[in-house]
Amino acid sequence: MPIIGTSPPRVDARSKVTGQAIYPADVNFPGMIYGQAVRSPYAHARIINIDTSAALEVPGVLCVLTARDIPGHNGQGVVYQDMPVLARDEARSVNDVVALVGATTPAAARAGAAKVKVTYEELPALLDPIAAMQPWAPRVHPDRDNVIYHLPIRKGNVEAGFAAADVIVENTYRTQLLDHAFLQPEAAVARVDERGHLVIYVATQYVHWDRTEVARVLGWNQDRIRIVAPAVGGAFGGREDMTLQTLVALLAVHTSRPAKMVLTREESFLAHSKRHPMIMRYKTGATRDGKLTALEAEIIGDSGAYSSWAPNVLRKAAIHATGPYVIPNVKIDAYAVYTNNPFTGAMRGFGATQPPLAYESQMDELASRLGIHPFTIRWLNAFRQGDITATGQVLESSVGLIDTMLQAARAAGWSLEELIPGGKQDE
Amino acid sequence: MSKKRGIGMACFFYGTGYGNGFPDVSTATVEIHDDGTATVRTGAVDCGQGSSTVLAQIAAEELGVPYEWVTVITADTDTTPDAGTTAATRQTYASGNAVQMACREAREVLFEYTRTILGVNTIAGLVAREGIIYVKGYPKKQITYPEAAARARLAGCRLVGQGTFVTHTTAVDRETGQGAPYWPYAFGTQIAEVEVDTETGQVRVLRFIAAHDVGRAVNRKGVEGQIEGGIAQGLGMALLEKVHLQHGRIVNNSFSTYLIPTTLDMPEVQPLIVETYEPTGPYGAKGVGEPATIPTVPAIINAIYNAVGVRITELPVTPEKILAALREKEGEQK
Repeated sequence: MPIIGTSPPRVDARSKVTGQAIYPADVNFPGMIYGQAVRSPYAHARIINIDTSAALEVPGVLCVLTARDIPGHNGQGVVYQDMPVLARDEARSVNDVVALVGATTPAAARAGAAKVKVTYEELPALLDPIAAMQPWAPRVHPDRDNVIYHLPIRKGNVEAGFAAADVIVENTYRTQLLDHAFLQPEAAVARVDERGHLVIYVATQYVHWDRTEVARVLGWNQDRIRIVAPAVGGAFGGREDMTLQTLVALLAVHTSRPAKMVLTREESFLAHSKRHPMIMRYKTGATRDGKLTALEAEIIGDSGAYSSWAPNVLRKAAIHATGPYVIPNVKIDAYAVYTNNPFTGAMRGFGATQPPLAYESQMDELASRLGIHPFTIRWLNAFRQGDITATGQVLESSVGLIDTMLQAARAAGWSLEELIPGGKQDE
Repeated sequence: MSKKRGIGMACFFYGTGYGNGFPDVSTATVEIHDDGTATVRTGAVDCGQGSSTVLAQIAAEELGVPYEWVTVITADTDTTPDAGTTAATRQTYASGNAVQMACREAREVLFEYTRTILGVNTIAGLVAREGIIYVKGYPKKQITYPEAAARARLAGCRLVGQGTFVTHTTAVDRETGQGAPYWPYAFGTQIAEVEVDTETGQVRVLRFIAAHDVGRAVNRKGVEGQIEGGIAQGLGMALLEKVHLQHGRIVNNSFSTYLIPTTLDMPEVQPLIVETYEPTGPYGAKGVGEPATIPTVPAIINAIYNAVGVRITELPVTPEKILAALREKEGEQK
């Protein structure tokens, strides 16, 4: 019996169906304490003072940590470490954790967090990515331009391409800020073990990267840090940035007790990244017989206050901006921009999920203007094996696009003889 | 009639892997035990998408033992090697390749010993299937996996393998964007049928056909599950979901106000698995994790256009936007 191509029972099916799977929230240790973050209520504010005295008087509260309690580097991030673990002088978004309370019970931790008195001076916030791109806009991060990343893609000559077009469609498309909405909100437990090593149980997408980040924040060697991912209840990109890893690490190391944090759904929304909202200006040209001649596209992605994967996400948006079609003349510019909005990062499709709204709407608009079927215009331009993308890459193998078009069209009951010019399905 | 039906299609391509020259590496190890069972170790986190199952299937196939004989240990920095992120639709491809390489190495150690027992002059003359090693073209001459493994161990062989796979990616030029940023690419086509109520503006998705080129499906049910889940997530993006901000603050941070699709919102989904066999993939496999969700939004948008002739350019497509667009269209016609 072959094994590849069959559907044997999932290795985790029994434990999940019977409820025996261990998620990080199920991990407990004797003497464990609980953490609660204090987050900025403002999109942008100066932190004038943090008064922890009232919080420390709450029964059960053991510590209130602030930026000065971080033994190593107060910065985290998958590309640039531009996100503070605990904000020191300035809050740049409502994601920012300003203080961290450790207490013997979750209720005491929450009560303590409510008593942390932070004095803010609210500052004007940059909330519009287009305004943030202007040269006179104040910088979200003093050491970096608000335009974190710009990728131009140039191929052929778009002016000539549009001149050769019989029909040109221009539209601006906008996608929204989205949450991953994974089933299991963030949970993590950290504990210093009998060797003096720090062990963290956390729902994450990449244990080895988490080790790098935690080591940097603690100033510890990596061999003394162990990250374990028990069962993970969905991720979709929302578990690539640090959320609780570095916080429980600080609590466990500071108190020498096991430390746990489990977020509510409400706080989960504040803690992890979001999908980049994108503004996509598209201009696409085609000839009377349905062949694409040129594409000009500008894509602006709002990274929020921290970069996370912004350069990589906007690069991916640019590279996929043509859709799966041969276009001889291409001019694409993609920008990732800092604002004071909640930060955005990886989410299923990673920058390639937003442009299809634009490029596939454009294809239907062109088809409509030319009086041809949406299938036909796609068939005429679709990538085949050996075709070249807008970045000059030759698609050398496993290019199954037209096979998927044929199978889907047949399942929809479409008449391929009418939709394929010349009626030929096999090439 | 206030309800109008329409059909829309959307195609996509998607470069898998980290891309742009980023080191995209996965390492795995395997150990074959005395009784023929095996333990695979990989840092790859299974976030629920099924990578541990897929990696167990690849190991079983490459070793030539039943699926039930393989245990996959994952996601522990003290005991498993770095396999890279569970992201970028890369674990079936990159870690699948690493596991296959590790298993091939361990199996070849076992075969080197086994060929001396069976009197075969090269390991190329041996095949393993379902826990039995036999001579190619002469299956009567065989030995069970447990016996071969136990004897090999007594003879001093150590049946351990390690594989490191590096995905090819070349950075694009910063001035022109030219280069070979990703490999391999996934492709697909989705067709949506919707019903638009022109009085309320409500859109119901009735049916989805989803054809995806996955190279090769390692686990068919897993691929179908990814396609159905991807469409659910895409449907939420198209019609329901938006994080609302006021002065940079999130105002709908709960599921009573941030609406995601439930099973009642889900249409009938017909997944169609297209297998093109990617030569660099494990058994021809690429990935399907992210691709499944990518064409869903425009398929719905184009179906709405087909149904009522309005083009919505801003997500999500709320009933209010449909009604406003319909009114505008009526005004233009008058």
